[in-house]
Amino acid sequence: MMNPSDPPMERRQKAFFEPLRGARAVLPILVGIIPFALVLGFIMRQTGRTAAESGFFSFSLIAGTSQVATVHLFAAGAPFLVIVATAIMINMRYAMYSLSLVPLLEGEPWWKRLLCAYVISDQSYAFTMAEVENNPDNGNIPGFLIGASLGVFLPWAAAIAVGYHAGSIIPASLPLDFTIPLVFTALLAPQLKDRPRIGAALIAAAGAIVLVPAMPLQLGFLTALLFGVGAGLLLDRKEATA
Amino acid sequence: MNFFFVALAVSLGSLIVKGLFTCFVPHSRLPKALDRILRFIPPAALAALVAPAIFYAKTASGSVFSPARLAAGLGALAIAVYSRNVIVTIVSGMALLLLLQMVLG
Repeated sequence: MMNPSDPPMERRQKAFFEPLRGARAVLPILVGIIPFALVLGFIMRQTGRTAAESGFFSFSLIAGTSQVATVHLFAAGAPFLVIVATAIMINMRYAMYSLSLVPLLEGEPWWKRLLCAYVISDQSYAFTMAEVENNPDNGNIPGFLIGASLGVFLPWAAAIAVGYHAGSIIPASLPLDFTIPLVFTALLAPQLKDRPRIGAALIAAAGAIVLVPAMPLQLGFLTALLFGVGAGLLLDRKEATA
Repeated sequence: MNFFFVALAVSLGSLIVKGLFTCFVPHSRLPKALDRILRFIPPAALAALVAPAIFYAKTASGSVFSPARLAAGLGALAIAVYSRNVIVTIVSGMALLLLLQMVLG
């Protein structure tokens, strides 16, 4: 969209609106994550957390799965170090996300890189990488990422509060959880541009189907991701030498 | 043990993991070869998020293989490749799932 001949003013204006574009892009996934956040709020209450604790933790952590694990282990009386280590293991995938963001955040001030790391989620990461593929000239990817992340997080946090007080108000018979993989599927499509990347996706998918139910703490996901990356590299090398 | 103390430790630990590379490693310090690896992270991560969520349905007794979800998910992938549109993919994927659940019971 943006090209070097754009007048600087117009370019700055476009960059200024990137957080809003990010927030608008993630709207479809709210259908899927809000039911999860409602349930999460309900769990916070069931495990004996006060509303203040629930609110504080939702804002300080911004990572749902590890939030469930933490309150569950705390309620079960697990030792401090076990709780912290478990949460960190669950969030290890974010280290992979942040690694792939390094080139995109080049030259940004430290506070912005920290902010990106703090607010990022699976969802906003996926939408941002799709934006990178679909719109390679975007001059403000960090802005897009922050907008997308807040667009996911703020409604999510609000839904946790609603779930805490009202319980889950969405009928469980409606399979709304299915909208989450559907959104990720839509974001996967632009990534499947060449054989190595298709191979990486196939191996990661097969690995996840086998390993995710078999390994605790989302380690199955992390292992499948690494297998996928490895498969992509092998195919890449094969094509380079062929 | 105070919960706020636990919450703070968990959040700080997770923030360090999340910002491990964005905050502490400048791009110039990353080996050049790594750029080749990085482009495989998004497709591998997305596929690993999607695959179990369409292959299994969560029931009270755990995760079970769900032919309806798998078929609807694969159909949605085909639609996503052609439409490149998130809304179209959600709507058609949900419609496929509801339809297949009715047919397959």
